[in-house]
Amino acid sequence: MKVWKTFCFELAYQTRRRSTWLYFAAVLGLTLQVGTEAFLGNARTGGYFFNGPFTTAAVSVIGSMFALLVAAAIAGDAATRDMQTRMEPLLYTTPISKAAHLGGRFLGAFAMSALLLAAVPIGLIVAARLPGIEAELIAPFRPAVYLNAYTVCTLPNAFVTTAILFALAALTRRSIASYIGAAILFLLPTFGNEFIAKHLGKWELAQQLDPFGFTVMSALSRAWTPAQKGSQLLALEGILLTNRLLWLGIAVGVLALTYAGFRFAHHTPRTFMPRWLRRSRPAAALSPNEEQSTTPIAVPAVERRFGFGTRVRQMLVITRRSFREIVLSWGAIALAVVVLFLVAAGPELMEHIGIPLHPVTERILAHLAGPGDLPGFMAIFLMVFYAGEVIWRERDAGMSVIADATPVPDWVPFTGKLLGLTLVLVLLQALMMGGGLLTQIRLGHHDFEVGLYLIVLFGIYLSGYLLFTALAVAVHVIVNQKYVGHLVVILAYALTAYASDLGIEHNLLIYGSDPGWDYSDMSGFGPHLAPVLWFKLYWGGWALLFAVVAKLLWPRGTSRGMKERLRLGRGRVSTPARWSLAAAAGVIVLVGSFVFYNTNVLHAYAPSDDLTARRARYEQRHGRYDGVPQPRRTATSLHIELEPARGEADIRGTYDLVNKTAAPIDAIHLATAREVETDGIQFNRPFAPRLVDKQLGHRIYTLKEPLQPGDSLRMQFRVRFRPRGFTNGGVNDRVASNGTHFEGDWLPAIGYQPDRELSNAGERKLHGLPARPPLPRLEDARGRNDETRGERIAFEAVIGTAANETAVAPGTLRRTWRAQGRHYFHYATDTPIRPGFAIFSADYAVHRARWRDVDIEVLHHRGHPWNVERIVKGVQASLESFTKDLGPYPHQQIRLVEAPGSSIGLRSHPINIRFFEGFALLNSSTDDRNVDFPFAVVAHEVAHQWWGNQLTPANVEGAALLSESLSWYSAMNAVDQTYGPEHLGRFLDILREAYLHPRGRADVPLLRADDWFVGYRKGPFAMYALREYVGEKQVTLALRRLMDKHRNGTAPLPTTLDLYAELKAVTPEPLRYLLVDLFEVNTFWELSTKAATAEPASGGAWRVTLNVAAKKVAVNTEGAETVRPMNDLIEIGVFAAEGKPLYLRQHRIKPGQQTVTVTVPGKPARAGIDPRNILIDTVWRDNTVEVTTGK
Amino acid sequence: MATAPLELRIENLSKTYTNGLKALQNVSLTIPRGMYGLLGPNGAGKSTLMRTIATLQEPDSGAIQLGDLDVLRQKDEVRKTLGYLPQEFGVYPKSSAEALLDYFAVLKGITARGDRKQVIEALLRQTNLWEARKQKLGGYSGGMRQRFGVAVALLGNPKLLIVDEPTAGLDPAERVRFLNLLSELGENSVVILSTHIVEDVSELCTRMAIIDKGRILLEAEPLRAVDELRGRIWKRVVEKSDLAALERQHAVISTRLLAGRTLVHVYSETAPTGFEPVEPDLEDVYFCTMNGHVANGAAVQTLTRTELRRLNGVAS
Repeated sequence: MKVWKTFCFELAYQTRRRSTWLYFAAVLGLTLQVGTEAFLGNARTGGYFFNGPFTTAAVSVIGSMFALLVAAAIAGDAATRDMQTRMEPLLYTTPISKAAHLGGRFLGAFAMSALLLAAVPIGLIVAARLPGIEAELIAPFRPAVYLNAYTVCTLPNAFVTTAILFALAALTRRSIASYIGAAILFLLPTFGNEFIAKHLGKWELAQQLDPFGFTVMSALSRAWTPAQKGSQLLALEGILLTNRLLWLGIAVGVLALTYAGFRFAHHTPRTFMPRWLRRSRPAAALSPNEEQSTTPIAVPAVERRFGFGTRVRQMLVITRRSFREIVLSWGAIALAVVVLFLVAAGPELMEHIGIPLHPVTERILAHLAGPGDLPGFMAIFLMVFYAGEVIWRERDAGMSVIADATPVPDWVPFTGKLLGLTLVLVLLQALMMGGGLLTQIRLGHHDFEVGLYLIVLFGIYLSGYLLFTALAVAVHVIVNQKYVGHLVVILAYALTAYASDLGIEHNLLIYGSDPGWDYSDMSGFGPHLAPVLWFKLYWGGWALLFAVVAKLLWPRGTSRGMKERLRLGRGRVSTPARWSLAAAAGVIVLVGSFVFYNTNVLHAYAPSDDLTARRARYEQRHGRYDGVPQPRRTATSLHIELEPARGEADIRGTYDLVNKTAAPIDAIHLATAREVETDGIQFNRPFAPRLVDKQLGHRIYTLKEPLQPGDSLRMQFRVRFRPRGFTNGGVNDRVASNGTHFEGDWLPAIGYQPDRELSNAGERKLHGLPARPPLPRLEDARGRNDETRGERIAFEAVIGTAANETAVAPGTLRRTWRAQGRHYFHYATDTPIRPGFAIFSADYAVHRARWRDVDIEVLHHRGHPWNVERIVKGVQASLESFTKDLGPYPHQQIRLVEAPGSSIGLRSHPINIRFFEGFALLNSSTDDRNVDFPFAVVAHEVAHQWWGNQLTPANVEGAALLSESLSWYSAMNAVDQTYGPEHLGRFLDILREAYLHPRGRADVPLLRADDWFVGYRKGPFAMYALREYVGEKQVTLALRRLMDKHRNGTAPLPTTLDLYAELKAVTPEPLRYLLVDLFEVNTFWELSTKAATAEPASGGAWRVTLNVAAKKVAVNTEGAETVRPMNDLIEIGVFAAEGKPLYLRQHRIKPGQQTVTVTVPGKPARAGIDPRNILIDTVWRDNTVEVTTGK
Repeated sequence: MATAPLELRIENLSKTYTNGLKALQNVSLTIPRGMYGLLGPNGAGKSTLMRTIATLQEPDSGAIQLGDLDVLRQKDEVRKTLGYLPQEFGVYPKSSAEALLDYFAVLKGITARGDRKQVIEALLRQTNLWEARKQKLGGYSGGMRQRFGVAVALLGNPKLLIVDEPTAGLDPAERVRFLNLLSELGENSVVILSTHIVEDVSELCTRMAIIDKGRILLEAEPLRAVDELRGRIWKRVVEKSDLAALERQHAVISTRLLAGRTLVHVYSETAPTGFEPVEPDLEDVYFCTMNGHVANGAAVQTLTRTELRRLNGVAS
């Protein structure tokens, strides 16, 4: 059979190639590295088997993605080899059929890819046997695990990618097409996972769009329990099955197209450019009897120059040619995609959970145009491919023999090509800037910060891309084999992009990296530019070194062997080259030393592993002091001198401590903070230091005379924040001009801090720490009686800051004054507060309002005025609602204070609620869902002034329910009271979108809730359900009782059991089952309406028949589901066309499908079960359906 | 600046490829102004020699001197006076002839726009590409492409012109024109023409060398070499079946089919029986040299030594 013969030949041909084995080694190495660095850590912290199905499948998927380059080389070669070797006239004239030729070639390439990818399971099997892995992470060897991943992930992926890449190369007859295709295929899952799934929340679409199943794995990693990850094989069902079928279908379709479009014929190159863009003229018809000139050759003797000016001219000519070749070929598509992306997706992406954001330039730059976004990927891919294309242009065209013999020094083509690539990047950045500005215009934002665009796009981002370009060019010159060069460049990129996953964290070791930077509308770049510049300069030195090496080894003529090229290169070392080498070495050594001095001498360099180890050592060394009786703080007094311009703070403080225990205390334990220098510890009675562990931050001071019960002690200290130079992670910018913001955790804390211990079970095991639950159990009596949480202090602070800034601390502003060109503020509390506080200083605009006798202040950045009115409205409505429901607000003022930072997150310190700039950018007025989101968020934060700052939950399981869920519940009441129930319904719909993100239903019951989802979503939903069933008044009564019992923060601190008892007390017996389902058991309702039909009844009424399905399941933490018996009261609703309810009443619903018939007074449009989505149902949009009307 | 006479001197040039192929073995040649033919079969080492002279390949040992210039070290200087038409080359298929020639003109140091325009027009007209100057090179025929290569090689009035197998892709008319063009250039420059077609050399070259397996077998003036052979080449037409016997008895240098029978040339100092004398041509010189018959070799050796003596005298 000819197919078989072609297939065998193809396979044999590929196995004989050295690059094939190089690829195999690369995939193997990558698997080992990714497996042992990233996935082993995940398995350890996740608590599942490293060699289980999840890791195996995930690494297989990543392996398929990284093997794309290999697949592109193999498929591209299989499809175009005849063209490249000019064999096609010989081959195409043989009597082989198209099907046999293409089929054999394709199958050979596919088999080769599939065989190469066997490196993944081999690598993983080896990785699981490496020494140093905890035995608990390794399950007994199961061949089925590897077979499962290979058949479900690897083989389909190899088929799909080989088919698409083969088709691209076969149809265009250019192997570059398969590389471009590989780049796009590589981008698809990344783009889908990051943008469509994580950013837009369209997980299902993203999972389908992903040819590799990467997003499916990403979803599984969120949905599966550790037990499932460690043992459950991937089943070909659901979305994984449809994904596989979809892409296999696409692959087969593409192959069919290839068969149809491929011709055994001489290929005339075609360009994809539209006709009007092509510069070609129709071929001049050469008349056969064209005048044969017989005059002798007379080439005019013209002057030729070889001076420096000529060299520059020549270089520019090469630059222009390289640039044109790129932008007039496939590069144009990449550039067009970037522009389309920015224009189309820009407005879409300027949002937070669907709420539009004001598109300030900082957002555009961070969210649209950065190296991690599509345009950034494009820049890298353009350079990966075109560095090779440009370097190889003459040789690919067969012109190098002529070009190499022209009287041009090596540096001219080298620099010209580098400049050509640079121009492409400049064009890309210019397009991004245009796209960004266009997005701002479209969104009605007219504050164009052109300077900021220029600095970020053409300064920071461009320099990063240029460093990479220099590396890519050097690699191509040195490697001197085009496709191996591409491979090395991509590996080099992957190595830098995933360095931390590979265990490399120091930026002096990751080519082109820097500590990162932040830009804030408030504080600008702060101290971040300098370290970035130093690192860029350091890597610039390396780039120069690479450039010189590349120039010396510049391929010219026919020298192939490395030895010969090195010899030639030595001969080319000229004076300028020598100087450049010296300069490069100088920069590397001098700047490198300076950077090293900053990162490792001025600061202790601490990679993340070290930080984990430090926490373990803290526990090992000082854990024995846990629970040692310590005095309580009753007052804190601070004198803070801020130097925002220098980024420094000097804090002198005094604590008043009282022994509230029944026994004398003879030693004070202090926990100091890492970021600051703590010294000057003094007590107002004789003392001696017993232990000062600066590294781990624990100190013990012995009191000469023990502190008797009831006695008090005054302690003084000095804390200085003086960042010197920069660290590997940049500069700590907590104190900065127009943007100082730090919290009380800089001050020494009293006693051993169990919070600083490692809590992850796997990490504890790794560091030899005894196993313990991550949070104390709900029933843990010690947690209830630990009064430090409920501590109340009198707080006073004098803050000096820059003359133009306003400093903020908790309490009443007693006095402000100016001295020595500085601005001083004196704050003091009238009522004791919880010790969690924050200090702010910036040039704030202050908006003042009042609610009864409470002063409301919004201190915000002058350029962020948008949400001030909504904030004030939220605060006023909240205070009104919460003082009525929960008791008085204990302070005379409440402030919302803006701090630099792009996130949305707010934090409710006593009196002062911090919001980041991201929150200020929320633009709810353009949200067509018509929800006042900022109002609701502010209400939530104000509610924390009760839930958290008055009622302080014990540090045990379920604390999140008491603070976060109850705050949301109170906020819902505020929304309801201000805007009405429909608005609340729309707001809850936004919260429900969290269900769209993949998440397993396995969890603890709400009473033990401690993660984000249960605290911020499921908890509030449960409280809302209770409110709708039991009544708002009853629930509020229960909460008021709970608050009254615990508002003063004394032990025993409340737990969810106290809440549960109060809720039980107000819930009538027939609804107790609901209470159990909502709080005691992790229950989910599965409600849906299959069909609803209506027929007219007498008197304009309609009889509506609903076919509904119902089920109630409990899911335990392992993911096991149990069906719960049900006879629940659930609303049945029928609605008229414009949404007006015609019928809304509770029915008794049993499990399974059932028919409900109701008669309604008007013509129905929609009907269904639980139409208001009161119950916990993760698939909530199928609760109602359109009503079909009979005649 | 004292300029040595324009002449290319190659001394003891050797090159062995990594696969063991000895491409050049101790090659020494002196090439004066004028057309110089390098004749040899495929794989003789011609292209290696040409590439080495064209600064594109490093020899293992030996030296090349062009006038004052050390070709192996002063590559950039040599390239300023070099025109090179390789045996095989490609073009950017998407460029037009005019644009690409302009590009090369800049690379060859013709920076003034007006000069460049003038030179390009002249060259394109001379190579009969003027009409097709806007056409993409990808659509050029083999001959047109070859002529384009000539135009590039002639840019900047080279003093050293190296053309490697230039006539291979040309039709007969083009070939004649091209060779004429080369010989005109030879009036002022060193022109090295490598070929395996004997007529290319016999028609134009004032001097020539025959190279095989990396060695120079003969260096001579074509006319004198032919003269030397006069009276030593004999021909006879035989049946194909008799050829084997004939080859055992005589020094056969070439055979050619002629109307179903075989025309045999043999080398002999004296008239062999049954043969007619024949007026020798360069092809006979080539085949005698290639076949390396002892007697023939002696004649060649004499000639070569004489030549060398004369040339050495000139140089010293």
